[in-house]
Amino acid sequence: MKVSVNVMRWYSDDAQWKLSLPELVDKMGAQLGAVEEVIDLDGKYDGVLVADIVAARDHPSAEKLGIYQINTGAEVIQVIAGDRTLNVSDKVGWIKPGATTPVSWGTAEPLIIGVRDMRGEVSQGMLGSGKELCINDDHSRVQVLDTDAPAGTPFAEAYNLASDAIIDIENKMFTHRPDGFGHLGVAREIAGIQGLPFTSPDWYTADAMLPEPQSPATLHIKNEIPKLVPRFTALVIDGIKIAPSPLWLQLALTTLGIRPINNVVDITNYYMVLTGQPLHAYDYNKVKALAGSAALTVRHPKPDETIVLLNGKEITPHTDTMMVAAGDYLVCVGGMIGGANSEVNTDTTAIILEAATWDMFSIRRASMHHGIFTDAVTRFSKGQSPLQNAAVIAKAAQDIIKLAGGTFGHSADVTHLPEGAVERANIHPPVVLTQDFVNDRLGSTLSVADIATLLGNVEFAVEERGTELVVKPPFWRTDVAIPEDVVEEVGRLHGYDKLPHSLPLRETVAVNQLRLDTLKNRIRDILSRAGANELQTYSFVPARLLHIAGQEKSSAFAIRNALSPELQHYRLSLTPSLLEKVHPNIKAGYNQFGLFEINKIHIKDDVAVDCDGLPREYQTVAFVYANQDKVAGAPYYQAKHYLDYLFNLLGVPYTIAPVEAAPAFAVGRQVFAPFEPKRSGFVYIGDGEFVGFVGEYRAVVSKNLKLPQTIAGFEIDIERLLNHQKATQYRPLLKFPQTEQDVCLKVDKSVNFAMLQGLVTSAFVNDERLRLTVEPLDIYERADDPDNKQITFRLTLQHHDRTLTTAETNDMLDMVVQKVNTSTPVERI
Amino acid sequence: MNQHIAHAATVLKHTFEALNNKRDILRAPELRELYGRIKDVPPGERAAYGQAVNSLKEEFEALVIDHEAAAESATITPIDVTAPFDVNISPADRPKLLPTEQGSRHPLSSERQVVADIFARMGYKVLDSRQIDDDYHMFGSLNFPEGHPARDDYDTFVTEEGLIAPAHTSTMQNRILKKGELPIASVVIGRVFRNEDLDPKHEHTLNQIEGVYVGKGINVGHLLATLQNFLQSYYKTDINFRIQPAYFPFVEPGFEFAISCPFCNQKGCATCKYEGWIELLGCGMIHPNVLLEGGIDPKEYTGFAWGLGLDRLVMMKHDIEDVRYFQSGKLDFLRQFKA
Repeated sequence: MKVSVNVMRWYSDDAQWKLSLPELVDKMGAQLGAVEEVIDLDGKYDGVLVADIVAARDHPSAEKLGIYQINTGAEVIQVIAGDRTLNVSDKVGWIKPGATTPVSWGTAEPLIIGVRDMRGEVSQGMLGSGKELCINDDHSRVQVLDTDAPAGTPFAEAYNLASDAIIDIENKMFTHRPDGFGHLGVAREIAGIQGLPFTSPDWYTADAMLPEPQSPATLHIKNEIPKLVPRFTALVIDGIKIAPSPLWLQLALTTLGIRPINNVVDITNYYMVLTGQPLHAYDYNKVKALAGSAALTVRHPKPDETIVLLNGKEITPHTDTMMVAAGDYLVCVGGMIGGANSEVNTDTTAIILEAATWDMFSIRRASMHHGIFTDAVTRFSKGQSPLQNAAVIAKAAQDIIKLAGGTFGHSADVTHLPEGAVERANIHPPVVLTQDFVNDRLGSTLSVADIATLLGNVEFAVEERGTELVVKPPFWRTDVAIPEDVVEEVGRLHGYDKLPHSLPLRETVAVNQLRLDTLKNRIRDILSRAGANELQTYSFVPARLLHIAGQEKSSAFAIRNALSPELQHYRLSLTPSLLEKVHPNIKAGYNQFGLFEINKIHIKDDVAVDCDGLPREYQTVAFVYANQDKVAGAPYYQAKHYLDYLFNLLGVPYTIAPVEAAPAFAVGRQVFAPFEPKRSGFVYIGDGEFVGFVGEYRAVVSKNLKLPQTIAGFEIDIERLLNHQKATQYRPLLKFPQTEQDVCLKVDKSVNFAMLQGLVTSAFVNDERLRLTVEPLDIYERADDPDNKQITFRLTLQHHDRTLTTAETNDMLDMVVQKVNTSTPVERI
Repeated sequence: MNQHIAHAATVLKHTFEALNNKRDILRAPELRELYGRIKDVPPGERAAYGQAVNSLKEEFEALVIDHEAAAESATITPIDVTAPFDVNISPADRPKLLPTEQGSRHPLSSERQVVADIFARMGYKVLDSRQIDDDYHMFGSLNFPEGHPARDDYDTFVTEEGLIAPAHTSTMQNRILKKGELPIASVVIGRVFRNEDLDPKHEHTLNQIEGVYVGKGINVGHLLATLQNFLQSYYKTDINFRIQPAYFPFVEPGFEFAISCPFCNQKGCATCKYEGWIELLGCGMIHPNVLLEGGIDPKEYTGFAWGLGLDRLVMMKHDIEDVRYFQSGKLDFLRQFKA
């Protein structure tokens, strides 16, 4: 929202403009909202003076140039212009030698005017066009000025432009403040935050009456959608003459970035930027011709109805759009933009002026749908007050008659307002609250009188009833409905920087970290200590990656409005995201590394749900070991080594089982998809509770993601580990020495290591006083005996009560081998 | 234009059958030609055309992958997954951990912990937020009525089912209020998603720290002191602050909170853009509608809330020049953050 300091100043007391521009902007920032940009226009018109033409002749040797003698107030000098139409006694804007043209002032390439010879005639400075003087877009001729100021008057003084500045306040600061989209509203706030009273102009606040008709021009309004359009006010002005606006008005609009059009349209735009209420003007006779009579209907469009907009584009409005029609013809997209068929232009002799209130939600939807973003949309989508329509239209109509002539025709005011809104002059009932309510929330010590003054300054009516206040917000404040809204108002006007602050007092309680957070941190510590690197990757993946990983796209939640296909699906597991990061890092020169991530995965067809019936969020840790070089043995064992290390330090006992068949349940199926079944294992904890997978990846995954030859990893559901972490179990140190014995067992190749280790370990259980470890020493397959393998264990034995003798341990080993043999054939080597 | 695509699809299918190296189909001239035609398509239909061509290409990519998967030879030999190492591996060649000094923790997870620890010491419970949520927790419970223009400022990702990838961690506010034993003091740190195009300053995937405090007699001063206290502990230096009114539907009043630059003591540095102040977070007193929706009587209790970007804190702390590095998985980046 851009506001001009000069326009605001025109409608307010000088007392509120004592601050310097930087001071003002600081104060606005602290108490009104973020200021995006400040353009100080002081100096823009330096060296531009009002001058009178005293003699005119054509340039003898240049067809288009005119030679003028002008009175600059100090002397008569000669200036050449690309315009031969100027007459003696015309007033013009003279840009004197050494001055910058206003249009180029403050730009990267300022144009400085000099004394120039133009085909043998001297030109001392320049006569400005409308464009050069920033009045309008016209660059075809010298702008004749409509001022009475004597020659020599600075241009800025003649048009009240001295020391103007444009302050651009972030629109989102005013999302809830429709009044902030008008200069009056911002000027009022600037008074209020300085503790000064503001008085709106009478025409805005007095009970506005629509003018009595003086012309027979009739008007009939039909509103078919009163819930969406609670007020539609319109009047006819007959017998007008369309012409350019006076320059002060053109200047005001141009400064705010609005293009001047003509005296009618400019007035509607001016009152919009002044009050926040957009107005629209229709050509009365064009409407009459379309409808057969002077009648407008507010309605939704019929199927396939179209409208050509003022900007020349044709649209087929969405069926929910609010439209204005003249008979069977749409003439305006309500509250957004007019139609070309009822445009006010130089042929126009009568107009219908409209001040309506359009539903903010419908406006927003239609604006998004059609991509129409006008100044009117910006304002209506914040919910303008329907109680200002009559005041604004009456004043604008008077000014139009002042500029364009004409007389009032009939008017109409079709309303559908909340009950009592008109009587109390606000759509909301008064807010009743106490002094304590305010002070409790602000931590302040304001008195009832203090509060009443702060609010009174911005034209709230406040009735004091002891410690209670009855607060009646003015009609333009559609946002103040509850006591908290008043608290905000008081705090802001008072100044938040004046509030005391202290920490809240309460009983201290010890808070524990969430167990899952503790576990995650522990996993991060363990894996990073083991030389792995934690990374984070996006929660969204492309369909391509899912497919490469062998995962089902239909199981992944898809984003309807994804930024790109690369970010279209919620991922089904972390592993593919990790694998995607392997190749780039190898290319970057890293030969050997471990990557891990702890994050969430979502599977659409999973049966489990979380709170509020939302999809279950599984939290997993995925790890990948990658090595550019070939390592001895299967890569699988590198990953398993990390899994052993992790679970060992977490204190979670676990087992791995070969894959008999891919998992049947949804989550397992998706997480397992990238793993190669023949070279992967299922990971179990507790009594066979499944928690994830460890293994190598399918060849197609490796190929598509350009993975190195040594790569393997795991992905584990970490929440399941929570209840299986064993605290450290201390065992007293034993006094008697330990004995080590290696035993090599030859078994059939199909016997797996864990099973044999289990058999060996359990063969000892009969003596509680015996402490035993069974560690693998070697796994050997002889080339000449491919059906068998030899596994060597190192047994460490230690007894609580005595030193074990060699004979004793040998006996034990014999016994163990015998026992194992009863389960599976072994041969001790 | 659609008949071009259909025709190309037929030709490509025949070619695919005949190819030895199925992957060559992705470089077929017919596909390239379809892409080349984009410039001839009327601008209004370009997006639809582009999508149709992309999905054709995707279809063939899928076919190639399926073919390769089917061709995965039966030569893959099973291994004993229960063993600690492979057969016939000498002790020197058995799996080893990588060097400890090579390890690293992600700076965002480390910093999350730093922040969480400070709030835990201040007596706040620290929670995580969801990555998939519903409209009610994103908007409805937070005083954003359906169709409200304030929703525009939170351009959120929506799934085909209408679920939401949260754009703020305030999604947890209603849950905290409903469950909380008063006074409530909670902090949520979680991943959020913004519909933003990527550049060095913008990411669509971020982390936010949300704080919620509700009790009796809680006022704006308590909010300001709490934030100041946290930030002084975090930056280990005195912090001045200034606030600016701001509009967020779930607070009333709402503020933007800026702090004196802790990196230059307001002398001016690149981090504060030589302004001496850093805009850090949005905050305010919880809107009574939000309290009511959480089952708390706003006449009896008041509270405050704030939302702060974790990524930004980390970027400022380490002078990280590009926010995209966080999710890049680049070891050049990650290994600088020692475990």
